[in-house]
Amino acid sequence: MDETTFSASNDDTSNDTPQTAPSPVEAYARPSAVHFAPTIGRGQAARGKESALQQTLVMVLAGGQGERLYPLTKDRAKPAVPFGAVYRIIDFALSNCLNSGLRRILVLTQYKSLSLQRHIQETWGLFNPTLGEYVDVIPPQQRNVKRWYQGTADAIFQNIYMLEQERPRWVVILGGDHIYKMDYGKMLQFHIENNADLTVSCTKVPVAEATRLGVAGADETNRITSFVEKPKNPPTIPGDPEHSYASMGLYIFSTDMLVRRVIEDVKQDTEHDFGKNIIPKMVRGGDRVFAYPFVDENQNESGELYWRDIGTISSYYEANMDLVSKSPLFNLYDDEWPIRRRSQPGPPTKTISYEPDRPVVATDSLLSTGSIISGATVERCIVGPRCYIHSWAHVSDSILFDDVEIGRNCRIRRAIIDKHVKIPAGTVIGYDPIEDRKRFTVSEDGIVVISKSMILK
Amino acid sequence: MSHRVLIVEDDTNQRLLYEEELRDEGYEILNAGDGREALRIAAQTKPSAVVLDINMPGMDGIDTLSQLLESHPEVPVIINTAYPGYQDSFTTWSADAYIVKSSDLAELKATLHRLLNKA
Repeated sequence: MDETTFSASNDDTSNDTPQTAPSPVEAYARPSAVHFAPTIGRGQAARGKESALQQTLVMVLAGGQGERLYPLTKDRAKPAVPFGAVYRIIDFALSNCLNSGLRRILVLTQYKSLSLQRHIQETWGLFNPTLGEYVDVIPPQQRNVKRWYQGTADAIFQNIYMLEQERPRWVVILGGDHIYKMDYGKMLQFHIENNADLTVSCTKVPVAEATRLGVAGADETNRITSFVEKPKNPPTIPGDPEHSYASMGLYIFSTDMLVRRVIEDVKQDTEHDFGKNIIPKMVRGGDRVFAYPFVDENQNESGELYWRDIGTISSYYEANMDLVSKSPLFNLYDDEWPIRRRSQPGPPTKTISYEPDRPVVATDSLLSTGSIISGATVERCIVGPRCYIHSWAHVSDSILFDDVEIGRNCRIRRAIIDKHVKIPAGTVIGYDPIEDRKRFTVSEDGIVVISKSMILK
Repeated sequence: MSHRVLIVEDDTNQRLLYEEELRDEGYEILNAGDGREALRIAAQTKPSAVVLDINMPGMDGIDTLSQLLESHPEVPVIINTAYPGYQDSFTTWSADAYIVKSSDLAELKATLHRLLNKA
């Protein structure tokens, strides 16, 4: 092929023989900073002079199977699991993005993504494409490979094309399955000030707890000097021998470095995992890797840092039940850091009592839109939208997802009942572990899980 | 053992030039006129290294590079193109070297030598 001289950056004509000045149109159409392949552009021009936040792309890794949360993940990806009656787990991370001013978000899905995709479409369509804002859900494309995502780093590798299109200067990589409030903008600032290649967000944990986590050893400047998964002897925080820095699975990369490192990794026989492979290798190789001490935006009375990995049925249950306590650790009532969720139309919660023999007792509970509690007792429960609890039923310490119906005279405690389940009158759950285990999934500490759309006679 | 170099280049004259010059260096040469042919050849006879043009009719060098990374991640690839602009493209970063075409093949030869004698 006749390869004449052409180059995307070859816009400098000043050394040529004198020419007439370029017309303003041409100057506009061929800016000197034109990127290679400025494909869709995403309204870059509309964003005007870009702040650091605007030059940052968020990639949410939502592709994990969530095995340990089964059966809540039977029909949905973990980030799509309902939480706190009206939220989904991913709403917390996406609210953090929105509240931090990050408005370019890719959610990378893999397994059972329908529920998550629908949720994001219906809930997070509030971004304005004209301003270059979006939340896009991206399933594996097999653009450059013939395989599914083999690990977190491989998920990024397979989406290098997206980075190519966007050309962000920084990339925030986070999991969609944690409950916390955090200003990623502060972390980005930290990353920029340290001239870092990679910044790992870390929360302070007691040394004993660190043995089951990814732990960063850092020097006084917070530069990471070692990074190990589940260490027997976790490195402690300088000046604080009681605590260690645990990785939150939340990273900010300078884009060039991210691309280089995931390409290197994909050529190697590794697990293609940021925590296990990429970060330790970067630390060993002398890259500028820093630990960012998690700054909690959650306001509660205890002042305790709140960050929860909803990994198991037990931790899921505990994090939910915190919300019905008198003074929850996780604050849903803070106007300064709102958590957005899908707004569902429907009538207000209704209670019906038939004095004197069928009073409604509803205490220490969250009750959602469209629910009806009719002559029943509800204690310490999270009741999702459109639930119907009938007379003489007694439900306590339980989590009801949407559209759950509890029949008359039921006695239920310490149960998680997934969507669209109708519990027949007189059913007893949570009082006889042996009977429960015959019919349902029961966690080690006795929480009964009734899976979505299960039919009980 | 002599190394086997796969040259992927649509311009016949250039391909002949590379073939001749690299054979003189002691390499065994495989030839392909576009990406699809290159992948077919690589599947049959594993090359020690690939010299890859980008602008080609049929499958271009960038797609070929991705596929080679998938099928032969351990085989070094040298991008050899007339266009420096592709260096900005992330998809070319998986290549082990990027050489802008020149009538002087010294850089190409030196790079091949370096990559093949690294292991």
